[in-house]
Amino acid sequence: MSDTQLTSRDAAEAPRTTISLTVNGVRHDVEVEDRELLVEVVRRRLRLKGTHVGCLNGDCGACTLSLDGRIVKSCLMLAASADGAEITTIEGFAPEGGLDPVQDAFWEHDGFQCGFCLPGQLFATRDLLEANPSPSDEEIRHALSGNLCRCTGYQKMVEAVRAAAGIS
Amino acid sequence: MTLPETEGPAVGARVRRKDGDLVLTGRGAYLDDVELPGMLHAAILRSTEAHARIVGIDTSRALARPGVRLVMTAADVADRIGPIPHFFDSANVGGQTTDFRVLATDKVVYEGQPVAAIVAETLHDAEAALEDVVVEYEPLPAILDADEALREDAPRVFEDWSDNVVVRLPFAEGDAAAVLAEAEHVIDGEIRIQRYNTAPMETRGYVASWGADGRLTFYASTQNPHPLRSHIAKMLSIPEHRVRVIATRLGGGFGHKFPGFPEEGLLCVLSQAAGAPVKWLETRAESMLVGAREYVHRFAVAHDGEGRILAIRDRIVANVGTLGSIGGWGMAFVAAMAFPGPYRVKHYDIESLPVVTNKPPWNGARGYGKESAALAIERMVDLIAQRLGLDPATVRSRNFIPPDEFPYWTAAKRLDSGNYEGALSQLLEMAGYEERREEQAKARGEGRLIGVGVGFELTPEGGDFPGSLVRGFDTSTVRMDPTGKVTVLTGVTSPGTGNETGIAQCVADELGLPMDDVTVLQGDTDVSPYGYGNFSSRGMAVGGGSAILAAREVRERLAAAAAVLLEADAADLVFARARVHVAGDPERGMSIAEVADTVFNRSIAIPAIDQPQLEATRTYAPENILHVPDDQGRISPYPTFPYSAHLAVVEIDRDTGVVKILAYAGVHDCGTIVNPTFVEGQFLGSIAMGIGGALWEELPYTPEGRLGVRTFKQYLMPRAPDLPDIAVGSQVTPSPFTLLGTKGAGESGTSGAVASIANAVNDALLPLGVAVDDMPLSAPKLLRAIREGVSA
Repeated sequence: MSDTQLTSRDAAEAPRTTISLTVNGVRHDVEVEDRELLVEVVRRRLRLKGTHVGCLNGDCGACTLSLDGRIVKSCLMLAASADGAEITTIEGFAPEGGLDPVQDAFWEHDGFQCGFCLPGQLFATRDLLEANPSPSDEEIRHALSGNLCRCTGYQKMVEAVRAAAGIS
Repeated sequence: MTLPETEGPAVGARVRRKDGDLVLTGRGAYLDDVELPGMLHAAILRSTEAHARIVGIDTSRALARPGVRLVMTAADVADRIGPIPHFFDSANVGGQTTDFRVLATDKVVYEGQPVAAIVAETLHDAEAALEDVVVEYEPLPAILDADEALREDAPRVFEDWSDNVVVRLPFAEGDAAAVLAEAEHVIDGEIRIQRYNTAPMETRGYVASWGADGRLTFYASTQNPHPLRSHIAKMLSIPEHRVRVIATRLGGGFGHKFPGFPEEGLLCVLSQAAGAPVKWLETRAESMLVGAREYVHRFAVAHDGEGRILAIRDRIVANVGTLGSIGGWGMAFVAAMAFPGPYRVKHYDIESLPVVTNKPPWNGARGYGKESAALAIERMVDLIAQRLGLDPATVRSRNFIPPDEFPYWTAAKRLDSGNYEGALSQLLEMAGYEERREEQAKARGEGRLIGVGVGFELTPEGGDFPGSLVRGFDTSTVRMDPTGKVTVLTGVTSPGTGNETGIAQCVADELGLPMDDVTVLQGDTDVSPYGYGNFSSRGMAVGGGSAILAAREVRERLAAAAAVLLEADAADLVFARARVHVAGDPERGMSIAEVADTVFNRSIAIPAIDQPQLEATRTYAPENILHVPDDQGRISPYPTFPYSAHLAVVEIDRDTGVVKILAYAGVHDCGTIVNPTFVEGQFLGSIAMGIGGALWEELPYTPEGRLGVRTFKQYLMPRAPDLPDIAVGSQVTPSPFTLLGTKGAGESGTSGAVASIANAVNDALLPLGVAVDDMPLSAPKLLRAIREGVSA
């Protein structure tokens, strides 16, 4: 490694920006480094640990959350670019102290084992059911295709989604 | 959770997972959720070379970067930490071994080996500084192929070894050579299995934190907290009671989180040197360095005209990378020990050679060698069927060990019980085998490449390996408080399999309590009795078994007290629905809470109630763990032998080589079932893992010894649309050797899946006269076979 390379990267503090995020109904003005990913800000600065990191590449979907009504993989977004957004994380998926019917269905049908990928699966499920209240198995599997799970083989997850949709 | 007031016992019921609400709402508390005041972050500089001498390391520039607190190399840690204890030392079985250090000293022996570590205020700062550590390497020739490593003139991975073979592992009965020499029908073959791993969604991670009192708390995403504590104490030369390991909720294990990794001890040293808690999380790319399962089988199988197997010879070469201290090389032992599977074969001669190369070491992987054996054995059976024009299911039926021959001895297993034919018949019936074959015949007429494959797996479980901290027994404490509620402290851990719920089911039944009254704590070495954690599908047999024994002891004490209070005979008391009453007279009773309260409040004062404690600790080991050789020299380190039968129907696209799974069915027998939902869920997940390994997952290496995949974009794990809806059936043949009759669930499925998919794909290729036994059965390989008519 040459000295010129060192000089060019002889880093000062990373640049910072203050952004505003409304997360689970609460507004946060938060100073972030420009290089920080949305998932990092959610986990480290807002301390909402339910959003998980499985790959940091957008491949696994464990970091999925809802942003302005769309589900996004929060490792694929710089936090600064989410300035002004309304975000729901798994902590805000259901009213405090309760479970949403989708969560209930996943518990009842054992749609998770270790639970690490679960927040992403729940968001993907709710996103599907909002658009398509009565999906086929193929449509369910397609809706979950961005969210890797290593434990379940997806089958009981598909059963859970079916149950959440009221499909017997 | 709320449970219906069921009449029946909890054992056998489809009880919901404990703590489901926590996990569902993002409060699961995995390793990365641990945050301590003043916590710093570590990043690890890894070798870019597969084999090289380290000429020099310059850390000065990295140290000068913003946020960086500490940079350490082997020289910096040398005085603080010793060699890493082996999870499974090959010296235990008479093999060659070597010491491994947390950071490479003068040489690196695989790409990805830790060379230096950086501790900084943020992970970004630590990772950014990695580029400023300058390491000068002098490359050495790297051996990547196990066959090459076996050549006499091959350079040695470890200079002081006599060759590159860890140990020779023979398993034999009868005289296979003689039978093979004289048999009319002999089939030779070769099967290659790729390197792939388990890729749990949560990678490994650790947080080390030294208290003001000099005591170390080590948070770990590990399957085996107590053995890890023993390792840490040994490495750091500190008394073990100065170390507390807390295994956080595991985001999957599958063998990836067995201890023995360099980062474990390294984090302790980094935290000590930095004077602050330090966290390290394995990146996804780092997790892919951990290998498993790279084998070649070269076999010969003799059979008679009816398809009965007369003899098997198999020479297994396992490329275990640089051995390492994480113990994955032990899979090469099981890959041979598991022969001859569910079949009655009188003459076999199996030898496995774990061979070291300059790839990173193996760690455990679900299947643990059993999937390698199952693939080889099941391909042999299909080749016999093909040669004789028989149905592959029929050939299996002709070779199964019959149900009345159990317990059944092989060279290194005493099979507990089984009805293999029953499982296969149920499978064929359930999957509509006859119709599948008819449909296949029709489709073949249309030129479609449809294959039907059967796979049977025998899954030795609950293994016990003296001389290591991988043992076949475990310990639980059952503790009742004055309100009659119960806490179970157990040495087994759960990677998400649900054994905490299963153990609660067992204990609730023993004490006549509802499930909600039982809490199970595991993973904290300050809380639970010394135990061996999670491996080999052991949770229910030994965690459940020991908890049941402890619960029975607590019940005896309760009964003694209740007998005094109810003026009854303790033997006449019934525990049910949180009450204890005299048999046949439900009115003559009281709540268990009342008895517990009396024991704590009034013992000794009431002289007849003289046991003022409702707590018991018991250890349980299944029978059938046999280490003393019998008169024929046979041992059985595994006590129980679940099994499963699988059927896959696939279609290969002629134009692309892509395999589509049209149908899949499996029937499992894991003995007594504590929770059918969990057993099914484990089985389904394990099958999915097997399918991924059979068709897509691979960790390829460049000729220079560098891993060719780093993300899930290249490492192709099954996604939901890749898998069919799997039909699951079950059969229950209890083990006579465990307390509940359980045999172990969790691992079963992956081996049968690999075997049935391989047989199905090759069945589809049959009309073309080609076969592919080079795993995974990926589209390019199949396309080449289809287009060029060349077997692989």
